[in-house]
Amino acid sequence: MTDAVGRIVTLAVPAQRIVSLSPAGTELVFALGAGNRLVGRTTWCDYPPEARAVPSVGDGLSPNIEAVVARRPDLVLLYRSPLDQSAADHLSRLGIPAVVLEQDRLSQLGRAARLVGRLTGRDSAGDSLAAVLAGIVARPAPPAPVRLAFVVWDTPPVVIGGGSYLDELATLAGAVNVFHDLPGASASVALETIAVRDPDVIAMPRDSAGVDAGPPAFLRRPEWQVIRAVRERRVVYLVGSLFGRPTPRAELAIAELERLLKDAKP
Amino acid sequence: MKTLALGAVALLALLLAIVLGPAHVALADLATSDIVRSLRLPRAMLAFLVGGALALSGTGLQALVRNPLADPSLLGISGGAGLGAVVAIALHVTNPWTIPLAAFAGALGAMALVYRLGVMGRGGAGLDAATLLLAGVAVGAFAAAVTTAIVSLSDAAQLRNAQLWLWGGLSGASWQTVGLMCAYAPIPILALLASARSLDLLALGEEPARHLGVDVPPLKRRVYVAASLLTAAAVAVSGVIGFVGLVVPHAMRLLWGHRHRPLFPAAFVGGGALLALSDTAARVIVAPRELPVGIVTALVGVPVFVVLLRRWTTS
Repeated sequence: MTDAVGRIVTLAVPAQRIVSLSPAGTELVFALGAGNRLVGRTTWCDYPPEARAVPSVGDGLSPNIEAVVARRPDLVLLYRSPLDQSAADHLSRLGIPAVVLEQDRLSQLGRAARLVGRLTGRDSAGDSLAAVLAGIVARPAPPAPVRLAFVVWDTPPVVIGGGSYLDELATLAGAVNVFHDLPGASASVALETIAVRDPDVIAMPRDSAGVDAGPPAFLRRPEWQVIRAVRERRVVYLVGSLFGRPTPRAELAIAELERLLKDAKP
Repeated sequence: MKTLALGAVALLALLLAIVLGPAHVALADLATSDIVRSLRLPRAMLAFLVGGALALSGTGLQALVRNPLADPSLLGISGGAGLGAVVAIALHVTNPWTIPLAAFAGALGAMALVYRLGVMGRGGAGLDAATLLLAGVAVGAFAAAVTTAIVSLSDAAQLRNAQLWLWGGLSGASWQTVGLMCAYAPIPILALLASARSLDLLALGEEPARHLGVDVPPLKRRVYVAASLLTAAAVAVSGVIGFVGLVVPHAMRLLWGHRHRPLFPAAFVGGGALLALSDTAARVIVAPRELPVGIVTALVGVPVFVVLLRRWTTS
């Protein structure tokens, strides 16, 4: 089997000891019914709650090879990034099968589901999850009356662009990301650019600890009041564990975003 | 004549900063547009004030340590400010002014530490130029290391954006930040201006300056503290902006000569104009995206720096 970066991986028997180095990989393994075979995860892996019981091998951003090897895995799932790719090569040289998964977009998650399904002997679960996800992606988007901007940071203002999972979610939830034309996953923009694109609602991702923390301080700063959605306090908060990455719970994320937008809409 | 030209350049820089931007504002609407009034005007003024403060600070420091490569960011102040900001972000504060205040506190802390180390050189007799520079580099590197450690050990996703804050540039500009700078900057600026004549004499060397009636140790303390206070405020409102404090003093010295009475005002106006122009470029060149203004000033500053370095090492 070939992974997202063209590495060929073969397993004689389905993997029994899996280390996942990304939250999306961890959730995928649980969704395929192989969660009990996880022996390592990252500090960021917060879903499903059972994942917390799996030993952590670090933050996974620059994988700690020793910590991974110490878990004696027969399969390591990595996230597609330069640091992870060199870690994957390192693990292969040590004789540990390593697979790089690309799951930045909903459309890529199906392929990852099929691949992990095969490697864990859960072929049919992987295929049916892929089919469900393909169905969601192929669904005709509802008309988009709500104009939305995702703001992830304030100084400088950083927004989510068209090349992202959140942009896909916005479309599927019947909204339009006013920064859809920016090709990257995120971009730094001037406040006046947000002001003239005039979103109806601003959505802000938050880690689970910060969801109930109230509006962030910068929304009270005078220069932000130029933006209509800020003046009218039309700001919604997205829980990182549901919205931060493509997950098999995409359907739930879409419904949740629809609900938040309906409550906030002018 | 050249004073008139510099004034014209500064006015043009401010005008461009108000007229140009990623959002289209018709010329007829300039006076009434909320974007101009609440965003571009305070941002242009803050850019001018910060650029002026950094250039003035750099001019004073170069005279103080008698080294053409001295720059406000070499003295550990930016590193201290960054550490303060990261700690504030890590503590999940909800007051919009906490991060700038923490950055300012960090800058002052670094300044005090560098000053202490600088005084310890030469048996505590006075600030020693070389010790001051080395202490600045060491304290800056240490603060940067602690900052990176906090960022990489923390679980909060917010902290990964702390570096962005440091490179944040002028996007936090508002009438409040302009007001703060206007209220705060005059005292260190006046302290530097008052030292102009003594700094001219110090250029001859510490011994000759003393014979000509300059009380060298208090002069050095005054210039160091004033320049650091200006830099600390600049970092607190705009993050780390490099090269303005290095390049502008040299450019102005080529035009105005080495006497500090005319050099200080020229450096302030020149620095202000350069940063206002750079910030306009940062907002417009890749619109609707925005570049960190520090990148624009570095793109202009590094080539000038290289030329200076060549001239300095060959002479």
